[in-house]
Amino acid sequence: MADSKIPAHDLKMALLQAQTRRHFLRTLGGGLGTLFVGTAMAGRASASDTPRSESSSLDFTRDASSPLSELPPQFAGKVRRVIYLHMAGAPSQLELFEYKPDLKRLDGQDCPASFLAGKRFAFISGVPKLLGSQYPYHQVGQTGQWISDRLPHLEQHMDDLCFIKSMHTDQFNHAPAQLLVHTGNARLGYPSLGSWVVYGLGTENQNLPGFIVLLSGGKSPDGGKQLWSSGFLPSVYQGVQCRSHGEPVLYLDNPPGVSRPLRRSMLDAIDQINQQTYATFGNPETVTRIAQYEMGFRMQMDATDAMDIRREPASVLAKYGSKPGESSFANNCVVARRLAERGVRFIQLYHWGWDSHGADAKEALNLGFADRCREVDQPTAALLDDLKERGLLEDTLVVWGGEFGRTPMRENRNGQEMKYVGRDHNPGAFTIWMAGGGVKRGITHGQTDEMGYEIVKDPVEIRDLHATMLYLLGFDHRKLNYSFQGLDQKLTTVRPARVVAEILA
Amino acid sequence: MTAEGRRSCWQFRLVLFTLPFLFLLFALVVFLPPDGNERAEWAQFIGRFHPLAVHFPIALILLVPILELAGRNNRFSYLRLSVGFVLGLAALTATLAAILGWCLARSGGYSGTLLTQHMWGGSSLAAVCWLCWLLYARAGERGGRLGILYGFALAAGVALVAWTGYRGGQLSLGEDHLTEYMPAGLRRALRVSNVRSASSNPSANTFYGARIDPIFSARCVTCHGPSQHKANLRLDSYRSLMRGGKDGPVVRAGNVQGSDLFRRITLPPGHDDFMPKENKRPLSPDQVKLIELWIAAGASDTLALNALQGAPSASASSPVAEVSFEEIDPAGVTRLRATVASAVIELQKQFPNILEYESRGSADLYLNASLLGPKFGDSNLEAFAPLGEHITIADFSRTAITDRSARSIAAMKRLRVLRLTNTGITDLTMQQLGPLDQLESLNVFGTRVTAAALPAIAKLPKLAHFYVGQTAIPTGISVPKELAGKLVF
Repeated sequence: MADSKIPAHDLKMALLQAQTRRHFLRTLGGGLGTLFVGTAMAGRASASDTPRSESSSLDFTRDASSPLSELPPQFAGKVRRVIYLHMAGAPSQLELFEYKPDLKRLDGQDCPASFLAGKRFAFISGVPKLLGSQYPYHQVGQTGQWISDRLPHLEQHMDDLCFIKSMHTDQFNHAPAQLLVHTGNARLGYPSLGSWVVYGLGTENQNLPGFIVLLSGGKSPDGGKQLWSSGFLPSVYQGVQCRSHGEPVLYLDNPPGVSRPLRRSMLDAIDQINQQTYATFGNPETVTRIAQYEMGFRMQMDATDAMDIRREPASVLAKYGSKPGESSFANNCVVARRLAERGVRFIQLYHWGWDSHGADAKEALNLGFADRCREVDQPTAALLDDLKERGLLEDTLVVWGGEFGRTPMRENRNGQEMKYVGRDHNPGAFTIWMAGGGVKRGITHGQTDEMGYEIVKDPVEIRDLHATMLYLLGFDHRKLNYSFQGLDQKLTTVRPARVVAEILA
Repeated sequence: MTAEGRRSCWQFRLVLFTLPFLFLLFALVVFLPPDGNERAEWAQFIGRFHPLAVHFPIALILLVPILELAGRNNRFSYLRLSVGFVLGLAALTATLAAILGWCLARSGGYSGTLLTQHMWGGSSLAAVCWLCWLLYARAGERGGRLGILYGFALAAGVALVAWTGYRGGQLSLGEDHLTEYMPAGLRRALRVSNVRSASSNPSANTFYGARIDPIFSARCVTCHGPSQHKANLRLDSYRSLMRGGKDGPVVRAGNVQGSDLFRRITLPPGHDDFMPKENKRPLSPDQVKLIELWIAAGASDTLALNALQGAPSASASSPVAEVSFEEIDPAGVTRLRATVASAVIELQKQFPNILEYESRGSADLYLNASLLGPKFGDSNLEAFAPLGEHITIADFSRTAITDRSARSIAAMKRLRVLRLTNTGITDLTMQQLGPLDQLESLNVFGTRVTAAALPAIAKLPKLAHFYVGQTAIPTGISVPKELAGKLVF
């Protein structure tokens, strides 16, 4: 330890010697000025009627050696963990949950000019035709909600789902829209929802990451790894992407010839060096590194077990339609349940291929879209089933949705009718559903017009959704903040967000 | 000149010498009257001492007649010697207290008739005190015409103390603070009307009482009500609503567009004058419509409930409950946790990560033994006995606990959620859960619990969910009626 102090001492001496009289005077003058401005502005700020509750923040400081340790929520939340099922590419709400008989009636007619005025589209040009739903609808459950015939398994849970059909966003391209959904900001560099949650609550199971990301294979989401990055939060809070077959985390197992005690003594040596580095430079990222090594060591025991779906009975695997060994949404749903049981705080699943423009068969509403529905329908239903049966749905929040919606107009790339049927991006309205602790069951919040194009009742911003999720987890979204660049940064940004009280149970 | 004469002459000079304080007070009150705007915090800070300081001159002024009257008796004649000193002190402290009062009113956003009366009452009182002191200094103990004048001034001072004090009480405690909790018998005898019940419970048969007042109560009174009256406006009673705020009436009967209240709730939400402020949700269109119709119809508090055609129906106008966030009071939490804190820290050391408070503001505990899995057994659970009644959520899933823990579990009397998923417990434990009368959720998924446990479970009064998947309880079994719909398979 003594060695580590010498460089710090040298550094301080060097700093002091580098200080000249001019430096001193400059900082002195500036210091007095800022002191004055600070007090004057503080007086102004407190004179205005900003409620105090917004400015005060909670204390999230932890022991540097255990940055993931659990912290109680601000108030007793209804849920302790989140399973977020993101359908990257934005599934068409009009083929799944939005029953619009009038749109069906007007199918094939020219879209009214009012739909196009002042709007920007990714591909639509000229005057597109209206496009009715490609699939028939029917009512299910005791609540009689409408659903298309594409999700026959999920519809058995219709009375457990809480729909928000009035979600909207201001981004109409995938990557920024996904960033907005997952980080609250369309630009790069902001912490994701899962990172905020783990920052706020820590992780229950110290032998597993608190924030785990699972991809179904195929295409990665356009937003890339930024979607589960920790942004300006310390990087211990970033999502850990796990593979759904083979080793869940690469290089987690000891290489041949290295025993667990040997690995331990190696880690101890590395830790010692890292501790010295931290004592010298005080960079929190060094602590992150130490913590990650330690977690890796602990994960050797638990992660393999948690991720190994072969340990599930065949009947369970059949219920999910899961085939161990491949990368699939079904396998990830099984893993998600196993992780939820083991106290993982935030489980993020990404499915892919929902971008149904109709430019080719894979992304046609009548072809690829149907495959996507099949891939998610049974596993999603089985996941809800398992969570419910095991009592986990009581304190787990399941969220399903894309990054924006799709237009009621048929896409006409370059103004021409395309071979396959598809829809363009519609940031103006989309549908998500939630299920689990703290949200009402079998209800729909918000409403779009007869064409499913624009919201006519109870619009919900992405940040409102975030505020609601944080509320369910036991936080006032204004208080879960982190000081960065002179601002108490929040998931919901500086703009006002509202907890959607109408959907709270 | 006698010694007494010298003393009174000296006292007279002192009166004149300290008179500028009084002039300062009147200058402030006349030239810078309180106008309902809030100002610098330091002034408010000083001003807040007004209620504290004001009792000093009150006591002194009331003391003077006592000294004078008692001094008439020879045995207490020495008391009269101190009258001059007490009067002087009273005059000085009354003036200072009044200046503090001005600080409070001027910077704290006070205004209105009550305040004006209290302010002038207090200032006059300070002036009367000086006058008494002056008269006393001139007249001394000789009496005469000046003595009579002195007596009257003193009586006026006492009356002013009572009146100003009453007004002050009304300002801080409410207009009916003296009669609010008056016993009904006395109230009848004195014919005091029951203002409280009249103001806070407007008749449910009137349009105002049933439709308008609930909107104000739900959306406005946090800032314009009993606890805060921003802009000196209160909307918690019809009377105060019609009285208006610092800029005059906010509702003009029959004149919708001329009513400031209506203007503010219908501005674009980003506007500086928009109400409710601070990004609170605007009033719903139905609520705005109701207020508009009511003002147009004359803004009366006696208008019958169904007198207005076209009023949005009651069900549609029910205000949406907004979530509210509790403030955490650190001292309160420390107090709350006083009895458990040391045991919690001890157990957290012994069993890292499995015991945590349910929230930052609570002393209730969440025990998640499932994280230790089979490493957690019956003997470990015994260590948690001291905290038994503070554990509200307990998860023993996949642990090694058995029926031997039944007694420890049953001692956690405040449990709301109990998870025994995939453990070795059996019906024996189920039979002993009787004391858990707060239990809402019981989970025995994957255990050997059988249908024989159902009658015991049916006795749990608050149970809402009983998770019995993968147990010996078959799907579709007929259950005691208390458990109907509560079993989850």
